[in-house]
Amino acid sequence: MEKLKSKKKISIMQVIPAIGILISLVFIYLGFTKYGFWDEFKGPKPGFFPIVVSIFMLVASLLSFFFSFKEKSVNWPLEDWILPLSVAGILIATFIIGLLPSLAIYVLLWLKKFEKCSWKTTLIVFGIIAAIVVGAFGMWLGVPFPKGIILNMISN
Amino acid sequence: MENLMHLIQGFGVLFTFQNIAVTIFGAILGLLVGAMPGIGSLAGVALLLPLTFKFNPTTAIIMLGALYYANMYGGAFSSILIGIPGDGPAVMTLMDGYPMATKKNRPGQALLTSNLSSFIGGSIGMIILTFMGPLLAEFGLKFGPAEMTALLLVAMTSIGWLVGENPTKGILLTMVGILLASMGMDTLSGNPRYDFGSVYLLGGIPFVPFVIGMVGFSQVIRLMSERHQETKLAVSKLSIKESMITLHDFKRLLPPAIRSGFLGTFVGVLPGAGATTAAFMGYAVQKSFKSEEPLGTGAIEGIASCESANNAAAAGAFAPLLALGIPGSGTGAVLLGGLMMWGLNPGPLLFTNSPEFAWGLIASLFLANIITLAIAWGVIPFLIKILSVPTKLMIPVITVVCIVGSYSTSNSMYGVLIMFISGVLGYILNRTGYQTAPAVLSFVLAPLLESNMRKAFIISQGSLGIFVEKPISLVFIVILFVILLFPLIRLVLTKLGVLKVKEKV
Repeated sequence: MEKLKSKKKISIMQVIPAIGILISLVFIYLGFTKYGFWDEFKGPKPGFFPIVVSIFMLVASLLSFFFSFKEKSVNWPLEDWILPLSVAGILIATFIIGLLPSLAIYVLLWLKKFEKCSWKTTLIVFGIIAAIVVGAFGMWLGVPFPKGIILNMISN
Repeated sequence: MENLMHLIQGFGVLFTFQNIAVTIFGAILGLLVGAMPGIGSLAGVALLLPLTFKFNPTTAIIMLGALYYANMYGGAFSSILIGIPGDGPAVMTLMDGYPMATKKNRPGQALLTSNLSSFIGGSIGMIILTFMGPLLAEFGLKFGPAEMTALLLVAMTSIGWLVGENPTKGILLTMVGILLASMGMDTLSGNPRYDFGSVYLLGGIPFVPFVIGMVGFSQVIRLMSERHQETKLAVSKLSIKESMITLHDFKRLLPPAIRSGFLGTFVGVLPGAGATTAAFMGYAVQKSFKSEEPLGTGAIEGIASCESANNAAAAGAFAPLLALGIPGSGTGAVLLGGLMMWGLNPGPLLFTNSPEFAWGLIASLFLANIITLAIAWGVIPFLIKILSVPTKLMIPVITVVCIVGSYSTSNSMYGVLIMFISGVLGYILNRTGYQTAPAVLSFVLAPLLESNMRKAFIISQGSLGIFVEKPISLVFIVILFVILLFPLIRLVLTKLGVLKVKEKV
């Protein structure tokens, strides 16, 4: 009984094809109602190609959904998510203090506090990253990095 | 003969200080990226793409081509010395490379065998490319919209079918890639489409941040749980002198390297097959030939067969990429995306309209092959240090390159946001058994497919008959149906109990 219950449990393996079904239905609906499928004189309309692709995607999603019940769910190591969280932090911090300071703080905190590296290793890696960012992207490619609200207020 | 003349002219284009310098730079980076387990050529090329914006297209593609090609050399290093393949194509090298380094205590010779075999296989692939590329382009000139549509559909679905264990998942992601590419603006009418009212989405999903996220950032997230694994090296010291092979060893590696060179090239030309399949096939074919020692025990023939095949495939894959505009792999798709960004349209007319570019690139592969062999040989004493770089130190470096690289494409945080979302999505998909390469390939090819498909339907006034009227498109359509119906056939066979579904852990 328990085995049966665990088999019927919905996991990420079913969620992904289900999202695929949903997306394809949205694309088909918008394609027909908003962008059009076929013009008698001009031929294919803007919705034509996405609708055709969405129909194939719908079939593939349904098949994937069906097959997914035979697959075991996967585990999600919590520590893997620390990196996306850090990048989300950088995205938010960039609007306040700018991209370069946000990256600098991230690298120093990551190496020194999170990975517990020595100051020597931290500074060497920091130097390599600074050379890539400032040297290659900033100076060579001339990328204008965002300064953030605070620096913009000061400079204005 | 005419092709050889063009090739010599290609060398003329190549021999500038800048082009030679970027070939060397690309070769060194390719070796490093290939040697470090977990990055791979796809992520390497994607991460480097923003750095090429300042170059002219020829120089940029020369650098990326050298990186891609040298990556095939580098992948074997970690297979041989630490028993972990640097990338997919190096998986088979592990079978004999690691035992040769550990059990036979010949790590240097294993590395040199791998380098020489890669060189031989790559050279064969490039020579065939020199002659086959223009022939393929000539054949491509016969293609109208219907033929191109059918070919593109085969290329897209075959990579979805061949990559990963589950064809349905591959095809699903192929469709996802096409739909993502169709967002923004309708290329033919110029009308907004699927922008959901967002000004940013009106411009579509930018290619570079999408690719960096899908294959670069997702890879770094995956490395998080592996970052404390210690690298166990087979040896503590290596020298060039100790890595020299004997004449007898060379005689052993030559026949399988030549055989796999031819086999690998033709596998590389097929859409979706790529270097990994070539390496597997090269090794499988070697099993039916005589080897001095049994394969899997550290046989030179084993290393030679797969290393030669994967380098030959990497060279062969440039033939359909340049002549038809069809990439054979995810890395090829990124290279194609780069070419399109620089305003070049690979296809049958490339050899006619931009010969200096096409032949310059082919010539650069020859040069990259020689330079990479020399660097791969010279780097042997330093490999211990390179492979000892802890993953935990690589994570912040790659993360920062992902962020800055995505930002630099549009000088907007929108690029970083796209990279972030595609990275997390790519990570989730990878963990659940969905390979992201089909999505990248279809994302690049979608505009070409849409434009050809719509033109075909306009010509035929909506009749599907246009795809089966001419023999070329008919053949492609038959192949396409076989690929598409495979999951359904599998479903029916599974239902009938003929096939058992493999459970994924």
